[in-house]
Amino acid sequence: MIPLVVPAEIRGADGPFVVRLSPDAIDAHDAQLRRTDENTILVTHGRARARLAGSDPGQFAGDVVLLDPVRSIMHRLIRAGSRHNTFLVTERCDQLCVMCSQPPKKTHFDNFDHFEKASLLAPADAVLGFSGGEPTLYKDQLFALLGRVHAARPDLRFHVLTNAQHFTEEDIGFLGSPAGRTVQWGVPLYAAEAALHDHIVGKDGAFDRLLGGLSILCRSAAQVELRTVLTKMNSSALPELATFITRFVPFASPWAIMQLERIGFAKNRWNELFFDNSVNFGHLGQAIDIARISDIPVLLYNFPLCTVPPAYRALAPATISDWKNKFLPACDGCSLRSSCSGFFEWHSDQAYSRLERQ
Amino acid sequence: MQVWPLQFRDAGDDILLSNDAGSWFRASPQFLNRYAAGALSDDDRDYLLKTGLAFVDVGDLAFTSHAYRWSARRTTTTKAIDYVILVPTLRCNLSCDYCQVSRAAESAKGFDWTEETLTAVLAYLDGLATDRIQIEFQGGEPLLRLDLLNAVRDFCRRRFKHSRFVVCSNFQIVDDAIWSFFADEDTQLSTSIDGDVATHTRQRTGSVDETRSLLSNLETFLERFGPGRMSALPTIDPLNPPDLDELVATYARFGIHSIYLRPINRQGFARRRPEAAGELHAWNELHARFIDLIVEQNWRRDTVVEEYYFTHLLRRILGLGANGHVDIRNPNPVGANYVVVDYDGTLFPTDEARMMARIGQIDLSIGNVLDGEDRSKVDELNSASFNDQDPDCQHCVYQPFCGVDLIDDISRYGRIDLPRHQTYFCRRHLALFDKAFAMITSTDQKVQHSLCRWLGVETWPTSYSEVRP
Repeated sequence: MIPLVVPAEIRGADGPFVVRLSPDAIDAHDAQLRRTDENTILVTHGRARARLAGSDPGQFAGDVVLLDPVRSIMHRLIRAGSRHNTFLVTERCDQLCVMCSQPPKKTHFDNFDHFEKASLLAPADAVLGFSGGEPTLYKDQLFALLGRVHAARPDLRFHVLTNAQHFTEEDIGFLGSPAGRTVQWGVPLYAAEAALHDHIVGKDGAFDRLLGGLSILCRSAAQVELRTVLTKMNSSALPELATFITRFVPFASPWAIMQLERIGFAKNRWNELFFDNSVNFGHLGQAIDIARISDIPVLLYNFPLCTVPPAYRALAPATISDWKNKFLPACDGCSLRSSCSGFFEWHSDQAYSRLERQ
Repeated sequence: MQVWPLQFRDAGDDILLSNDAGSWFRASPQFLNRYAAGALSDDDRDYLLKTGLAFVDVGDLAFTSHAYRWSARRTTTTKAIDYVILVPTLRCNLSCDYCQVSRAAESAKGFDWTEETLTAVLAYLDGLATDRIQIEFQGGEPLLRLDLLNAVRDFCRRRFKHSRFVVCSNFQIVDDAIWSFFADEDTQLSTSIDGDVATHTRQRTGSVDETRSLLSNLETFLERFGPGRMSALPTIDPLNPPDLDELVATYARFGIHSIYLRPINRQGFARRRPEAAGELHAWNELHARFIDLIVEQNWRRDTVVEEYYFTHLLRRILGLGANGHVDIRNPNPVGANYVVVDYDGTLFPTDEARMMARIGQIDLSIGNVLDGEDRSKVDELNSASFNDQDPDCQHCVYQPFCGVDLIDDISRYGRIDLPRHQTYFCRRHLALFDKAFAMITSTDQKVQHSLCRWLGVETWPTSYSEVRP
């Protein structure tokens, strides 16, 4: 696993601050990054100094980090070499999904200022993710941040994960604006039947509110990525969901069907939730075909390639974020490894019953 | 609850219904009666709401997604012209009996670009607001003027970031210079093979030896450059068609499994012969017979054959993204995506328009390479180039999937306001859509097998064959 938070002994700073790490530190926002001895990396910015354990400063070069003297950590908000950089906007959420990988908490820490500064320092053409909890619980701050960052850095693109419960007609102004159009909205939809969707997300009326939110996104010409986590609860309802999407969400691009992540709530409910597609791809295949015939692009996220029948493998890009991805001993020598998602770091061996080296 | 207005058409034992966003379903005649009488049952209403055929509030997702689908089906790309058809010569070494392009004899004078025309063509290309270009060389036989082709190609490679070239040639006579011209990856050959040797000889070459020498040239082409660099079309006279089995086999020889069956198009000089009675009916029957034939073959063989245009229609019916084929679009703006430069530098919106001008039927030219474009005619045509307001199309269950071809209407009838169902375009497409829907809603496994292969999926949706009681 790639560490996102690194212990750091920080002096000369009153509170947390955001800087970009660089060996030469020419820009005022840059902190100088260097090795002092075999076991120590030193970050200096004005009066502030941070000591990290390690011998390879190069691994952090170009990173945009939050240095927090109170918690004695360096949080790597944007890793220069990664395509998977996501800001955790809040841990509060108004849904309680049965498989949530990031179970919500009541308290909220407002880090918008740090996220804004970090965004402005991001590498050229980066895609920045905003996730939660539910980011649109703070949509005024979020929209304002996206608007300002887009004005200063039109090269950046954004991906915001949202349950689409909180969009109103008034939001069409922002959603349809140049800043709003640079956002891809990742919206979860788990079933075509309201009762099943509501049950999975743990909120009565969520489905109906979601349809309202999707309508507002469509009217704003927003980019919508639909996300459906595959579980035992919805696996046989996928063809029906596909038909629903062709009729009601034809603007979805893509429809992402996602394999379960064994963390958060899903960890303790693994056996009741995990659907093993390596032995039963029937409904999944039908659903994919229904969508594709209607020109809805489908992608399979987090599916090891050998668990997907060959005819559908082109839909399964390597999606598991670099910092939490691994391969199994059985993967050694597999010809598909370089284009495969592999497994989550917290993958369980009691998952797929059929894994085959290709 | 409001139901989006439904059009309908007999489909065997039941009824096919659709709305103008292209949502469709099959239902019993009883359902149609209830709908027409305003006596929908509660079940009917649930069904219509659940399938997005009705909405409750303006702006709700059912309403918005209907609007989205409506407009997605009518989206035509009208970016800058990036496709130019060039006619460097009208001269040809063949004299096909239905020649569309008003050819000139091989030895004739005054039917080639002059030096001044070439210079003006290059200046015209230079002025296009694009950095990608596709050039199609037409004729006549363009390979008679390889020097002009080289001049254009050299220029485009310098001027544009991406350029592609297609040479539409009978490929009857080939020499070393021509072989080396095709050696470059950016250059494609497009030719005609009218099915079998007897038919091709009758329609084009006049001699079996000439036909054999064409086929041998094409084989050499395939050996030298591999599959994928050559495309071919059969032109078919439905009253005297080739053997269809043999047609498929001939194309397979050249690695071509996507075949665009093209009905003889008696335009230009060919139009001077009267359209034989029953020709259209014969065409519709032949096309359906061809589809049945390849469905049967596909079931038995690994190699899958498709009829290119039919597959495109399936995509138009079932998806929202198939708006790129100028033969069937709605709206279908002329002069928007491509332009034709004739042998004398005159600009035309389409190849057919060029032929009509040539035989003195109507002048639809839109300027010339020296003075540039005169858009007034194009704009006037385009003000009518869609089917939404046509009084017949409005009532047609196939309207959202269909298109319009004004140039064909003008060419055949001299007007664009004939009752739609009397036109060749309409009657041909009614037959095609009838066939397409019969297959889409079929439960026959051979039919579903071909549909899956053509559309690149593994399973065929069961909901397509359901009939609303």
